Amino acid sequence: MIVESKYRRYSRMAAAWLITALFVFPLYYWGTTAFKEAKEIFSVPPTVWSFTPTLRNFEEVFGISFGFLRQQEVLPGGGNFYMAPRLWDSIVVAVFSTALAIAISTFAAYALSRMDFRGRHHFVAWVLSTRMMPPVAVAIPMFFIYKDIGLMDSYTGIILIHALMNLPLAVLLLKSFFDDIPREIDESAIVDGASRWKIFRRIILPMAKGGIAATAVLCFIFSWTEFIFVLTLTQTGLKTVPVVSSSFVTSTGTAWGNMAALGVAAMAPAFLFILLVQKQLVRGLTLGSLKQ
Amino acid sequence: MAFVRTRGLQGYITGDSPVPWLAPLVAMLVVFTIYPLFYNIWLSFHEYAPFKRRLVYVGTENWSTLVNDPRFWEALSVTFTYFFVLLAIQVVLGMIIALLLDSDEPGFGLLRGLLTLTLVIPPAITGMMFLLMEDPEFGVLTYLLEAMGILSGQDPILATSSTALAGVMLADIWQWTPFMVLIFLAGLRSLPQEPYEAAMLDGASAFQTFRRITLPMMSKVIAVAVLIRGIDLFRAFDYMFVMTSGGPGTSTYTLSLYAWQQTFSFIKWGYGATLSLVSLVLILVIANLFIWIAKVRW
Repeated sequence: MIVESKYRRYSRMAAAWLITALFVFPLYYWGTTAFKEAKEIFSVPPTVWSFTPTLRNFEEVFGISFGFLRQQEVLPGGGNFYMAPRLWDSIVVAVFSTALAIAISTFAAYALSRMDFRGRHHFVAWVLSTRMMPPVAVAIPMFFIYKDIGLMDSYTGIILIHALMNLPLAVLLLKSFFDDIPREIDESAIVDGASRWKIFRRIILPMAKGGIAATAVLCFIFSWTEFIFVLTLTQTGLKTVPVVSSSFVTSTGTAWGNMAALGVAAMAPAFLFILLVQKQLVRGLTLGSLKQ
Repeated sequence: MAFVRTRGLQGYITGDSPVPWLAPLVAMLVVFTIYPLFYNIWLSFHEYAPFKRRLVYVGTENWSTLVNDPRFWEALSVTFTYFFVLLAIQVVLGMIIALLLDSDEPGFGLLRGLLTLTLVIPPAITGMMFLLMEDPEFGVLTYLLEAMGILSGQDPILATSSTALAGVMLADIWQWTPFMVLIFLAGLRSLPQEPYEAAMLDGASAFQTFRRITLPMMSKVIAVAVLIRGIDLFRAFDYMFVMTSGGPGTSTYTLSLYAWQQTFSFIKWGYGATLSLVSLVLILVIANLFIWIAKVRW
């Protein structure tokens, strides 16, 4: 065991807290902006610590009254900053695209983990290379293809493209989780007369539950934060939260408070989810290549 | 181990062939990557004719425009600058912070948890966060930099061509340095202790230990992190789209953004497709070269 001197120990702790504080500060500043009145957002020098909190921004964004605005002033559908439907769009797209990506990739990952067929390495390399494609190189042709087949501006279109975007991650990550399950378990099940399908359903899926859940969380987050596909493939029908940020920029200035309120609402579920998968996070971020 | 095959539909599903298992995946990848790829290549030989209101065949015109387009070369240079500068900063900074956080002291788990938060924020919203903080009038970052004398009051960070790219990079550094930290940290935590004890007995300095023991043992971890981060850096789009739209001038135009704007803002469908193809080919070549040289394996 390597023991640090007292001096080094304390200076390490101080430096670690300081650096983390630097990274947390923008979040704090954005978070508090959501609770500020306009005059405090635009004040010079900027208010950082002391301000009178208000829920007004949230009221306008979600169309509900907490008492800072009268209910008559909060007009769902009427206000420019009413964004509750955009949150709903985000949820629908993220949930269904995640489900689709997971459904397709559990099968593929099982085959890649358990079957020795010719060209398997090339297949994995191909899947990985689709992760490298610049989104713009897919978004431009898809814009024309979607226009032709009428998938423009539809949930189906966005769900499909988000599922596609998450497939390489989901396949490679699930393969790494399936690889962790010893092959001897499959083999003894085969001896007992179980079919491949039965092994997949009764052994692999239940044993990889945690891994599948972690993969689903990551897919959800990547769909939740995706920008360029929704920007390109929707017009008025639906819009997810990251894409509507521009609608807060008006001719009379930017509605920073309302935008921050929506931002906070968009971050909260993602923060919650990411804390659930802390243990598998590094594996997920490296597409299953590094295990913690 | 022999496999018991049954007949009929059941046999098809339970047989040894991976085809039914892989079919949905292959179908999706073909429909959404291979087909668009060919469509893109086809588009690059066409251009939208505003008077005829349709696409017309233009041969290799888009490709010759590309070579002679100074904005394309500027976008390429911005893309590579963004790529190399941020990769270097994020690797070095990420390693320093990871070494700092590599400790079992109470509270360090919380610090690691706090650092993961930046990873789940939509990059477009991160862009808006930094747009607010870098606002020339009431931005808290502008205020701090002016108070420290680094920035004079006259030049808005994002509207001055010499500082705009740095202003955008700041958002990327903030959001993705923790990505490097978490990956490096996981690598550091799993290193064996013995070499370090031996090095200490030999009286090696901290730097020597890092250079001779930590770095070589971490090479695979660093390679994977560089590959994945590098791919995303090369495709950068969201931050510039919301923060600067490429400006001022071409100072924050990346290849992705330039391709997108040519297609959708300037209705140069064929030329935009051509630009996006260049970006696709470049990233596939660079990434695969890197995988081959660094021997990264999945």
